[in-house]
Amino acid sequence: MSNVLRLVWFDFKQELNPPVWIIMQWFTFGMQLAVYGALISRLVTGLGDYLQFYAVGFVVMMTFEIGSHTGRHFVEHAHEGRLPYLLSLPIPRRALFLAITLQGGAELALLLSVPLFVTLAIIGNLTVISVAAAVATLFWLGFGVAGLMLGLSFIAFRSADVYAAITAALGSLIIRFSTVFYPLIFLPPQYASAAFLSPLTYGADLVRLFLGFDPSLLLNPTYAAAVLAALAVCTLGLGVLLLQRLVEGVKSG
Amino acid sequence: MLAVETKNLVKQYGKATALKGLDFTVDEKEIMVLLGPNGSGKTTLLLILATVLKPSSGMAKVMGLDVTTQPTRVRQILGISFQDARGFWRHKPPEILRFHATICGVPKSRRESMIEQILKDLELWDARNKLFMHLSGGQGKRLEVAKVLIQRPPFAILDEPSSQVDLRGKRIIWEHIRKLREEGSTILVATNEVREAEYLADRVTVLDQGTNVVCDTVRSLKDKIAGGDIVELHVDAQDKTDLEKALSKLDGTVKIASTGQNQFRAYVSMAESWVPKMTSLCYKKNVRVVSVRVTEPSLDDVFLHFTGRALEATPTVE
Repeated sequence: MSNVLRLVWFDFKQELNPPVWIIMQWFTFGMQLAVYGALISRLVTGLGDYLQFYAVGFVVMMTFEIGSHTGRHFVEHAHEGRLPYLLSLPIPRRALFLAITLQGGAELALLLSVPLFVTLAIIGNLTVISVAAAVATLFWLGFGVAGLMLGLSFIAFRSADVYAAITAALGSLIIRFSTVFYPLIFLPPQYASAAFLSPLTYGADLVRLFLGFDPSLLLNPTYAAAVLAALAVCTLGLGVLLLQRLVEGVKSG
Repeated sequence: MLAVETKNLVKQYGKATALKGLDFTVDEKEIMVLLGPNGSGKTTLLLILATVLKPSSGMAKVMGLDVTTQPTRVRQILGISFQDARGFWRHKPPEILRFHATICGVPKSRRESMIEQILKDLELWDARNKLFMHLSGGQGKRLEVAKVLIQRPPFAILDEPSSQVDLRGKRIIWEHIRKLREEGSTILVATNEVREAEYLADRVTVLDQGTNVVCDTVRSLKDKIAGGDIVELHVDAQDKTDLEKALSKLDGTVKIASTGQNQFRAYVSMAESWVPKMTSLCYKKNVRVVSVRVTEPSLDDVFLHFTGRALEATPTVE
């Protein structure tokens, strides 16, 4: 276990030295909430305080982007040759993948800490259990998205440019066609159908449910939890499988 | 026990086959050099032995451990220096070595002194405060080799250990590799540099297009080339034609060519046994030998002899 933590810390500490990217993410969240969120919430009626809805949505969107970044980071490491080096170290494969996952989780926790704290402060009046459930949902969503990006990484091994284009396009579709910034019941039917295909719909609605938003605006939580669980398990499993095929090759005989 | 043993080892990348049923062995505590052009399968073999790649079929064992079924145990006894420096781009050389040494179980009490010593030996001490991404190609390569030197594993793999390194640096790296072997490590080096192979090898395996062409000591490989040794001979002879005839009949002579007045070029096998025969012949014929110059074949010639192609002119497969 000590080697796993050593691996996580060795790479992760560079994110803090200096923590420019982290502070920029927090700054972006603050600006977006203070300017755009504050203004748009004055225009939107019928949803209670839209600033709260918007803040949660933005945190979910950040979760997607951080998860996506983690997956992409892993692919870049494979290209740079860091992954073969890690694969040659005297660490069991399970421990290595655990270290990579923990690093992604630690990055997610650090980047979301301030935005999430601000969002919870705006919403207020929450229990420890509801906050813990919301945080767990965000992590689960983050792992699912990272797994999705790992699953797509086989494209990157052929063309990094095509991979970047596909993930950027996919990212914009997944965010726009979801309930991150607008409730499902307000969406036109064709948009609503598309929203059901976005994992962010399930993540955003489940987080909002735990944070006390009106359940009539949200998806069935059992359904949302099941979809998120399936997404994380399937994409992470697929990602690991594909990477093993691509990086280590496969013993076929 | 053999340090490395592969049987019918095959590795395919899609439709391309990098290793075609390779049979290969390395004895304990020897420096085995894999010599071959780019695309001959050297790096693929090394990565399979390091358990970074999995074979498509066949068997590979390191110190008796199967690389497919016991990969973690294999990794615990080996260290690898990759062909390209593998980096944590935003870390400094001492941090990278400290991390590597810690993960590989180098005792804490010796770690810092070893890091300092290796950095100084490999002339990286002045670059110790640079980030990895700011190191030159040669410095990055030295750092890659330093990982293995600090680890001092029972089985060390070095893929082109001195490529991109200047001549002085090459010599330093080679000395350290030999010292590692003297301490009891088994070493497998892949290279396409003839000088590196000649300097380091106890034995050489010539790889070409994923197969083991030949394996032997450098001396034996050179001796296997009939007429590979060239003897430039300058004599003071009354009857040059008679001497030429007699030399051409000597055991080991492949061809004699006259290169000037009283000068010959003899293409012979095993010059070290041919030259004494030649001098006694000259003595019997009362011919004074003015000078003898022996040129032995290089490993380039060995590769050419066994594959029919020059080492540097071989097209790449991968």
